[in-house]
Amino acid sequence: MKLGSCAIASCRCVVTDDSDPPPLPPGSDPDRKQSHDNDAPWPAPEQDAAPWPVDDVYDGDIDDDDLDDDEPAPDEPEAKTEDDATVLARGHLHPSILLLRLLDALRQVAFPVILGLLQPWFLVAALGLFLLQLTYSVIRYLTLEYTLTPEELRIREGLLHRQERRIPLDRIQDLGFESTILRRALGLTVVLVETASGRGVEARLDALSRAHAEHLREVLLAARLTAVAKSAERPAADAADDTDVATTSDAPAAPAEPELEWLVHRSTTRELLMRGATDMRLSAFAVTGYAAYELANQLGFVTQLAGIAQTFHNWLSSLPTVVVLAVLAGLMFLVVALGIVTSTLGNLVQFHGFQIVLRGDVLQRRYGLLTTRQKTLPRERVQRVTIEQTWLRRLLGYSVMKADSAGGSRPDGQDTSAGWDVVVPLTKATTAHALLPALLPGIENTHFEWHRGSKKLVIRTALQGCMLAGVAIAATWWRLEANALFALLLVPIWAILGVLVWRNLGWASGDDFFALQHGIIGKNFATVPTKKVQAVVVRQGIVGQLLGVADITVYVAGGSPTCIPDLTLRDARKLSHDLGQRAAIAAARDW
Amino acid sequence: MTAPVSPRPPQRLAARVVPYWILGDGLTSIVLTSLAWFLGRPWLAENWEHWSSALENVLLGLCLGSLSLALFIPPLNYARWRYGFVGDLLLMRYGILFVEERAVPVRRMQHVDLVRGPIERVFGLATLVVFTAGNEGSAFRVPGLPVDEARELRDRIVQMRGDGRL
Repeated sequence: MKLGSCAIASCRCVVTDDSDPPPLPPGSDPDRKQSHDNDAPWPAPEQDAAPWPVDDVYDGDIDDDDLDDDEPAPDEPEAKTEDDATVLARGHLHPSILLLRLLDALRQVAFPVILGLLQPWFLVAALGLFLLQLTYSVIRYLTLEYTLTPEELRIREGLLHRQERRIPLDRIQDLGFESTILRRALGLTVVLVETASGRGVEARLDALSRAHAEHLREVLLAARLTAVAKSAERPAADAADDTDVATTSDAPAAPAEPELEWLVHRSTTRELLMRGATDMRLSAFAVTGYAAYELANQLGFVTQLAGIAQTFHNWLSSLPTVVVLAVLAGLMFLVVALGIVTSTLGNLVQFHGFQIVLRGDVLQRRYGLLTTRQKTLPRERVQRVTIEQTWLRRLLGYSVMKADSAGGSRPDGQDTSAGWDVVVPLTKATTAHALLPALLPGIENTHFEWHRGSKKLVIRTALQGCMLAGVAIAATWWRLEANALFALLLVPIWAILGVLVWRNLGWASGDDFFALQHGIIGKNFATVPTKKVQAVVVRQGIVGQLLGVADITVYVAGGSPTCIPDLTLRDARKLSHDLGQRAAIAAARDW
Repeated sequence: MTAPVSPRPPQRLAARVVPYWILGDGLTSIVLTSLAWFLGRPWLAENWEHWSSALENVLLGLCLGSLSLALFIPPLNYARWRYGFVGDLLLMRYGILFVEERAVPVRRMQHVDLVRGPIERVFGLATLVVFTAGNEGSAFRVPGLPVDEARELRDRIVQMRGDGRL
């Protein structure tokens, strides 16, 4: 047990290697077997129906991350056949991928073949296309080779147009796995290499066998730790903080220690069902709203054209209003229910069997029913953690937990739709807060002193309401005349909004973390490690200058900025300076 | 209202940034107003039946207003602009209607740009842009620095970054 690493990451479980017996035969390792076989929902659902041929190898392999011994892995027959000892892993794609490519090619020629029934020469074209496609796939399969060295991951491919991509290990942020249902049936998984460049997926290996993929990840993460530790060694030596020195001197040895998995959270079906049921996407609302509007419009239409649809109209008007309303309400309910059912199903499929575990300093998420995903997130890359509650979820005490990581927030939205930033799909808010230390080690020892925003916030929003009302009145007076004065209602509405915002607003600045709570009806909590702060900006608009209040925005790498509105200028400046100083000190200590 | 907790950035921009701004930003408003006055006004008078001398006065007021703004804003802006190091923090404070105060721990910066436009070169000025890993809003931009000072500042920033890592 290393004291240094424990002091820094209190929830990190490390067992020493000394007393460990040589790798046990699969099935007899008491602890880790359990966390992998029985607990993990990842392989579990399919195991009876289609057990992977490689399962045993895969489990045995978990124990085998003894990097320093430089032993070839049992399931890596090709490792170190030709090169020197610096190659940690080397391999090709799994041959089964050719089957998938064949299917792809067949699907692509399906249309030309159908046309070929009418025009025979289409068949020839289809055949040509098919062969071309197949040749390309075979060549790609034959030439693609990945190599992992202690410094970098190399992916080489191509026959005519050769390409070799080299990705330095300390740039690799994540190694994600994704497998569609077809690939899963074949025991394959797509490996996604993510770097911190913010461009998302840097390289894609489609596909490896699960065992090879797992092995690659093990070795890569271990090597990455070593690489990072090496680059941190020298500057840390003269750092005054001795816990820092302790960690760095430990770190090179760390990969040799097999680390226990620590289950951070596993979503129950109930939670996932609740997530779906309380999922109030704007689209669902839009659909509901549109349906209601359409309905009302049609009914109005019917009443107006009484002459044409006289009978229907008579029938409608013969019905008591209550019945008409009831029918309307019923239809509304149906639409809403349908929305809830679809979103529930969607959530179940997407997040089925969600679990997040902590291995060493790396968080790992696994989830999905049809397409399974596995995504790792090194804790040191976490830039910001949020706990979000929409009003419905707040009412029920539930919350969603998300983490921004460097390079983790992508404008294309592709990854967020697959839930890549979700750390916990849904859980009780209290549980979510209790889980914070797993993501941000040290936060449990941080004393947060919460402050409120300035009450002038209400004045500012009321003034905003006045301005809006003024504009609205001026714009509509010529048409509505005195009726335009109804726009004055905006003033109290805005004031009430201001009160709500003020009531929900709070911020706290601890030693190593900064936290914020905000919301109008819902409630969101966000916390940023101060050492991740990239820039702090204090902004004052015209009204802000008049009232002496200012907004403060905290920027971190990759994540969306965190903004606190309407602090007193004094508070804002103090907070800005505090955060800046702490970030500067942390930056100096890091290097 | 200056809080003692947050020191004011120590340095000011070069004074010749004022004529530069007047020329640079003012040039556009001079072109636009003269277009409005010498081309737009006769055209409106000819083609629009509601054109009146009252409206002409309004237009004149607008033109003179924007011209005088182009003249008066740069000195005010210059008076407000502050930047500089306080310890390891690079600070800046600027703006008239919308005031911004930025703080960047320089060791976190990703890269530094030194930009010199054609008019800037005439005045011997340069703009220093410090990029951090935060998104667009977190770039740190100091316009109107004398070239030597800008270079010195850039070198200092790069050096501060460098002395830690490698």
